Amino acid sequence: MQRFDRRLLLHFDWLLLVTLLVVIGMSLMNLYSASYIGYPGMAPYIKQIYYYLAGFCLMLGLISVDYRFLLRVNYPIYGTIIVLLIVAIIFGRTTSGAQRWINLGFIKLQPSELSKLSMVITLASYYYRKDTGKGFGLGDLLVPGLLLGLPFVLICKQPDLGTALMLCFVFASMTMFVKLRLSAVIVILTLAVFLTPLVWKYGLKPYQRQRVETLFAPENDPLGAGYHIMQSKIAVGSGRVFGKGYLAGTQVHLDFLPERHTDFAFSVLAEEWGFVGTTVFLSGYFFLIYLGLKVARAARDKFGVLLAFGITSLLFWQAFVNLAMVLGLLPVVGMPLPLFSYGGSSLLTNLAGIGILFSIRMRRFSLGTRE
Amino acid sequence: MRQRFSRHVISRSDQAQEAELLVLKKRLRLASGIMLAFVALIVVRLWFLQVVKGDEYAKLADNNRLRLHWLNAPRGMISDRLGRPLVANRPCFNVTLAREDVPNTSELLTRLANLLGVDINELLDKIREGEDYPRYLPILLKEDIDWKTLVAIENHLYELPGIHIEVVPSREYLYGDLASHMIGYLGRINEKELSAMPPGTYQPSDQLGKMGLERLYEKQLRGEPGRRYVEVDAQGFEQREVSTIQPLSGSDLRLTIDRNLQDTAEDALDGKAGAAVAMDVNTGKILALASSPPLELEKFVGGISSKNWNAMQTDEFKPLIDKTIQGQYPPGSTFKLVVALAGLSEGVITDDTTFFCNGALRFKDRDYHCWKKGGHGAISLERALAESCDVYFYNVGMRLGVDKIAQYAKSLGLGEPTGINLENEKAGVIPSTEWKRRRYGQPWHEGETLSVAIGQGYDLATPLQICAMTSTIANGGTRYRPQVVEAVMDEDGKVVQSFKPIVDGQALGTAKSLALIRAGMVAAVNTPHGTAGVVKMGSIVVGAKTGTAQVVKIAQYKHLKEKDIPYNYRDHAWLTCFAPADKPEIAITVLVEHGLHGATGAGPVAKKMLEEYFTLVNPRKDDKNAAL
Repeated sequence: MQRFDRRLLLHFDWLLLVTLLVVIGMSLMNLYSASYIGYPGMAPYIKQIYYYLAGFCLMLGLISVDYRFLLRVNYPIYGTIIVLLIVAIIFGRTTSGAQRWINLGFIKLQPSELSKLSMVITLASYYYRKDTGKGFGLGDLLVPGLLLGLPFVLICKQPDLGTALMLCFVFASMTMFVKLRLSAVIVILTLAVFLTPLVWKYGLKPYQRQRVETLFAPENDPLGAGYHIMQSKIAVGSGRVFGKGYLAGTQVHLDFLPERHTDFAFSVLAEEWGFVGTTVFLSGYFFLIYLGLKVARAARDKFGVLLAFGITSLLFWQAFVNLAMVLGLLPVVGMPLPLFSYGGSSLLTNLAGIGILFSIRMRRFSLGTRE
Repeated sequence: MRQRFSRHVISRSDQAQEAELLVLKKRLRLASGIMLAFVALIVVRLWFLQVVKGDEYAKLADNNRLRLHWLNAPRGMISDRLGRPLVANRPCFNVTLAREDVPNTSELLTRLANLLGVDINELLDKIREGEDYPRYLPILLKEDIDWKTLVAIENHLYELPGIHIEVVPSREYLYGDLASHMIGYLGRINEKELSAMPPGTYQPSDQLGKMGLERLYEKQLRGEPGRRYVEVDAQGFEQREVSTIQPLSGSDLRLTIDRNLQDTAEDALDGKAGAAVAMDVNTGKILALASSPPLELEKFVGGISSKNWNAMQTDEFKPLIDKTIQGQYPPGSTFKLVVALAGLSEGVITDDTTFFCNGALRFKDRDYHCWKKGGHGAISLERALAESCDVYFYNVGMRLGVDKIAQYAKSLGLGEPTGINLENEKAGVIPSTEWKRRRYGQPWHEGETLSVAIGQGYDLATPLQICAMTSTIANGGTRYRPQVVEAVMDEDGKVVQSFKPIVDGQALGTAKSLALIRAGMVAAVNTPHGTAGVVKMGSIVVGAKTGTAQVVKIAQYKHLKEKDIPYNYRDHAWLTCFAPADKPEIAITVLVEHGLHGATGAGPVAKKMLEEYFTLVNPRKDDKNAAL
């Protein structure tokens, strides 16, 4: 499709790759501890290796094409995801009360995970085509609002509140980034203040309300809904400064920690490696995100900036929500730690996003055809 | 410039695009600043959880995974003076629940209730009772399950997470209720007792001595519980043992009690309300201490029901009272021993002082009667003691005055607790002018001295006090403190505490006076008109004094035949004795409530005990049939 440009290799972001590999290394090491016993069949950490391999192929594919290719396929991608979301609701397999999965045999696809990246691409494309110089008023938000609303409603139907809120986070970040008028911000905030109690009362399911309530007083119900938060905090806190040692976490290996290889994988790390381990890990992890912002700064055009910023903020918000949840600062919502928690769909989505980052970084000086 | 909804924006100038790009890139800085703030929040939170609160959470993690099981120490055994066990232990299997391991209590309890064959509400009640205790402590759901239930539960343990079988040593009373008042009983520790103990020493499911020696020697008998830490998983199943501290067995208690003599005393008292005490006159060792009716110990196991309790409370035989040390009775004629001692020692009488008894003594316009209506005629000390002449002692008492009598009574240990190592001993009453003034704010009337002189009126004594007094008279005046514990032995049988005689004082008066009194007591047994012939033995000479304690003064029953007097108004019967007369070893005191006469009511009991003592407990080497 394109002539090979030697400068592409010259501008390849090796630092990003090394950081990525370090994070992945820590992730696999941690997953091993969390799942080397107690799982029938293929252990999650082995499966995760396969997902990584698949993810790297996908990444390689995305690196080899110019990211601006996405400008042409953004709506087809959007459409496909919507269809998949509908399919998941109708035919999806139910896990813990939510219909999130489509079984493809080799992978149980979670279209809601894919929708996050699709949202970024869609909004980046849309805002790229719009003149954003003077900032957006409320009226300007109608179309992007609809683009957000459709998958949002479908994902809420599953229900997967975490992912639905993540779409909002990404939407808000990107919209603010391209500049929202102050008046619009005020109107939205006012609406939010008045709508929150209504949503609380009518919009949330009882178990969701309970999760929020137990966030503030998990001790009230240590064997019920507060159990996850309590046990996670105990795991993290009991790691103290230097941790209990690799493979020696009692909370993990005696089954006290729930979802220990998926959403609560970070608690395992914190328990076994302590404050020292978590700060080392988080330094590497957020350095990766910082590199994502650098990609945005180096991007050649507005689409590249928007895309890189969107992908980075997607990674960031997921990470923040997951960590805050694991540390008992936010209610328990289904939210993996990108690149770290076990889960194929999430991994593929995030690696695809990083592939796009590589692509943007490599093509900062390329004068390829404009659209 | 505004090209709303246009799909292509290539027409915009490169310059404008570049400017917009720069603006966006500047905004990235702000974005990274905001992100950094959020990252800082996470790191601060981690710092707080792992560094500031780390130790606290580490403790919680240990509480999560570690379960502490208390290993009860076998309680010390209680044996008689020859080491014959009276109270031993047997394993008792209890069902307990570790609450933190149970995600779904109601389902579990339904299953367990089926296996135990009890109503689920019974189990729920136990759990409710346990709510106040810390969560990590297991709750006792069912005590002492039988073998069949045990096997059933063991087989289903895998589906009963949090349920444990606990093996606890439980008391086994080898001779039923033998010496039950003295030994006492065990019960579940209550909240008040628990909070009084040093923290960590007792658990809410623990037993402790509630009465008697079980309570007094709780510390020695109990030993030290062991601890077993096990690691459990989130489902409450044990993964491995972390550490174990073995329990330290309790010390054994060897009593001074002789099993056979105690048994004889209780048998002889069977069906009566009363007390019997046997004491080694030369040491103060108590050989038998029987209160009838005995406590029914099995009714106390696992807590006594209010129905049983009320029945015991209202029983006219008063089984809850240990009559040997808590029963206070007018000593009746046994008190004449005191008056005799005082009279001789104070020079009021000598051994051949005689008084004339015509059946009554007139004093201040009132007749004070002798029990013998016809009178004893001219009578001296030995006969007065042997035949228990009231008039003789009215005369002696009148001449002594109440305060002198009180002084001698005190020197024989009356009017104050003997200090035996048992609980709630009563003091009795020995009146004096001072006592009456303090107690009633009234002056002493001389007429009252006459009542006191024959052991009526205000006089009150416990059977143990009378026995100790008899011992003192028998051994020549040394007041030994009565004791019931021969030795405390640790688990290896090493004696850690052994009996030592304690001398609490000397009786006032001369050895000669005491010898004359003993002669009077021997005469009571061995002369034809003596009141205590009932305890006469073969070649072993016994000295004794009978007594009758008036319960009511009302004259309306006087003319009734004895069997027509209501039980509660009948006189108490006393008999106190010592033997052998030449070299006294043992003093025995018997009181039978409402037994009417000393000789007939209390005598047979004392006789059986003497026989037991001289044939089996301490047989004469030279003459095996001496007693018979």
